[in-house]
Amino acid sequence: MQAGGGVKEFVPKIVVFCCNWCSYAGADMAGVSRMQYPPNIRIIKVMCSGRIDPIFVLMSFMEGTDGVLVTGCHIGDCHYINGNYKTQNRFEILSEMMNELGLEKERLRLEWISATEGEKFANVVKEVVEQVKKLGPSPLKPVIE
Amino acid sequence: MNIGTGKCYLAWATDEKTREKGSSGGFVSAALAAALDKGVVERVLVLKKHDVFKGIPTVTSDPKEVLDCAGALHMTAINLAKYVDSDVRIALPAKPCDARGVIERAKRNQVNLDNVYMIGLNCAGTMHPVKARKMVKEVYNLDPNAVLSEEISKGKLILKTSEGEKSIKIDELERQGYGRRDACKYCDINVPKMTDLACGNWGVPRGRKATFVEVLTEKGREIFKNAVDAGYVECEPASDKSIEIREKIDQAMKKLAHEWHEKLFEPINKLSDSERLEYYINAFAGCTGCGACKKVCPVCPCGDDAKCTMTEFQSEVHRIRMFNMIRLLHLMDSCIGCGRCEDVCPAGIPLTMIHMRFTERVQKKLDYVPGIDMKKPPFFETELKEVQK
Repeated sequence: MQAGGGVKEFVPKIVVFCCNWCSYAGADMAGVSRMQYPPNIRIIKVMCSGRIDPIFVLMSFMEGTDGVLVTGCHIGDCHYINGNYKTQNRFEILSEMMNELGLEKERLRLEWISATEGEKFANVVKEVVEQVKKLGPSPLKPVIE
Repeated sequence: MNIGTGKCYLAWATDEKTREKGSSGGFVSAALAAALDKGVVERVLVLKKHDVFKGIPTVTSDPKEVLDCAGALHMTAINLAKYVDSDVRIALPAKPCDARGVIERAKRNQVNLDNVYMIGLNCAGTMHPVKARKMVKEVYNLDPNAVLSEEISKGKLILKTSEGEKSIKIDELERQGYGRRDACKYCDINVPKMTDLACGNWGVPRGRKATFVEVLTEKGREIFKNAVDAGYVECEPASDKSIEIREKIDQAMKKLAHEWHEKLFEPINKLSDSERLEYYINAFAGCTGCGACKKVCPVCPCGDDAKCTMTEFQSEVHRIRMFNMIRLLHLMDSCIGCGRCEDVCPAGIPLTMIHMRFTERVQKKLDYVPGIDMKKPPFFETELKEVQK
């Protein structure tokens, strides 16, 4: 509840998957360089973006997140040679699933962010939060009575 | 006679009894029995008739038992792919969805295709046994238990009892809401081109008890030649006219399937995105999570100890169960639309239709049709060596 009894503003929750070698370091870089980005994200660090089973994304939506951002090393830069190729494969199929399910495809995003791209990380997060705010709460949010 | 791959023949069993019992000349049963008899294969997987509504998948090494199983069972819904154990050389009669199931299992290293001999059967669809029983009672006015045999001929379903026979057009049955399973209505793969031998009665001249056989692979040629040499089967080359008629029937069935596809998918196609989400939430709301759909699924071969759907907790408040979401995801690239999940679902969820809706998007986008060849499923496409090249 806001001061003055106004209507509660929608505060989106975004789950961000970061790989240990590039995008998590990129997020670190954003922090070290004192770049501002919205505090709506919850970062989950995995060793490689290839570790992200699409089930993780589906589970996040089912548990009530409003958007998911998947990040990893640039294609060709993967610490484990081809982890991000796998991510790309899966993402393609997962996004088709989202389309058929009828969930707005803007809620799910894949970005390649390297360890030096702190600015890109901050910008992407800003964009995603902005977009999800426009869309409103996820229709898959659990109903708790 | 010189039998070559890629050629078409008319063949029939030499044994009078098998010819009578088989639905079109008894070629398939005779060829399977011959293969077993002469040691081309060590086992044969057949559907043993319990009654017209029930067949029991049986692995046997007795040629007599194979011959006993001659004849089609249109009112059973079984996918044989799950029962193929390829430790030894095994042959099976395979509908297109059986064959596709076997190939999908081979891609997942569950089956060694070198050991599997598939004798393909043309298929225009099967019926759900429970619905078929109801149909016999209400449309045919017969006691389901009194039906001795059934036959599909010229678009009619003929039921034989001890008092005589009764036939009704399948179109008429489908108009009344009976007839083939939904999954079969919109399946457009009727001729099993992915097997070793494609058999069926399409293209057989009127009044003849014979099977039209197309030899597709070297393995198929081996089975065919063995059956002819062993004296189980006689054959003659198929005329151009027969080949043409078969092709025509296939095209007609394909067209019919596409019409059904449009008809059955239309109500959901016209929903908006958010309405569709609501539809899926409501459709899956009845799911009890029993796991029957997973158990019968031929492209979900990990078996009973698979951990993939163990994310399920009773306390969940999810709008759609994770069980369903995981099943949807895992079949995104590979559902063959055999319809088994729909058949066994105790909650009556139109699962196959839903899976097909999801899977068709990916199959179209990535130009991948599962169960036709050994092309790798898109989910497993990336491998270490491919990138290192």
